[in-house]
Amino acid sequence: MSVVAFERKQDNGEWTEKELNTLVAVLGAMAPRTGRAWETGMTEQGDAQFYLMGPLPEQSCEICVSRIGKRYILEDGSGRLLFEHRNLELVALHAKAAVPSTSWLMVRAITLWCAVRNTINEKFEPLLVEGEELFVQFVPQLAAFA
Amino acid sequence: MKRQKQQDVFADRPAANAAPDVKQLRKLAGDWLKLRRAEVELSQADLAARLGLKYYTFISQVENGFSRVPTEIMGAWSRELGLEPAAFARHLLMYYEPEMHRLLFGAESK
Repeated sequence: MSVVAFERKQDNGEWTEKELNTLVAVLGAMAPRTGRAWETGMTEQGDAQFYLMGPLPEQSCEICVSRIGKRYILEDGSGRLLFEHRNLELVALHAKAAVPSTSWLMVRAITLWCAVRNTINEKFEPLLVEGEELFVQFVPQLAAFA
Repeated sequence: MKRQKQQDVFADRPAANAAPDVKQLRKLAGDWLKLRRAEVELSQADLAARLGLKYYTFISQVENGFSRVPTEIMGAWSRELGLEPAAFARHLLMYYEPEMHRLLFGAESK
């Protein structure tokens, strides 16, 4: 007699490889290009937790997925319960939707643009104003020559 | 007696010369919170229930150093740990906003 080895769903302890692959495929994949990182941890009762952390310097938790019994719990970094379900794929998709979407590259581009504008304002505008003042001074004289 | 106890529990401080980063300081805050909770013999689940949270996972999130104690529940959190809210908030500020803490209380805390 042969016994079929059904995969038993883990309800306590560390993430299984399958669970972690699911989370990393959805959430971990977006981490590098957005300046985010992920880590795992445990509650004191041994429930697995997956943390998606925001960019440096704060690197605080933006999204946390925990496994309590057979349910997966999705919370934000302030402890607000966002979603809970027995299906991890569904929870991971909700988690992805809950992550602020502004990409790290976009943030860098905006910061760079602000720095360039600030430099232009500080360094070049006084020169332009000075030039304009000179022009205003010389216009009557130029007009007299004409 | 209570005063003495409060002075002792707030004696833990991050090392001033080490200048640990934000993440390390949050972890130190989490460790301190875990110790205080153990002293009043509450589990993460007990504390979460008393704070009106459906799951205790957020307590773990904070104690593992991934999140901060939100300002809106700081008072309730401190009371459940048997600590005075102002001193509790001031102590957490030392980990969460060390520069702000130094500016506000720098001279007193040395």
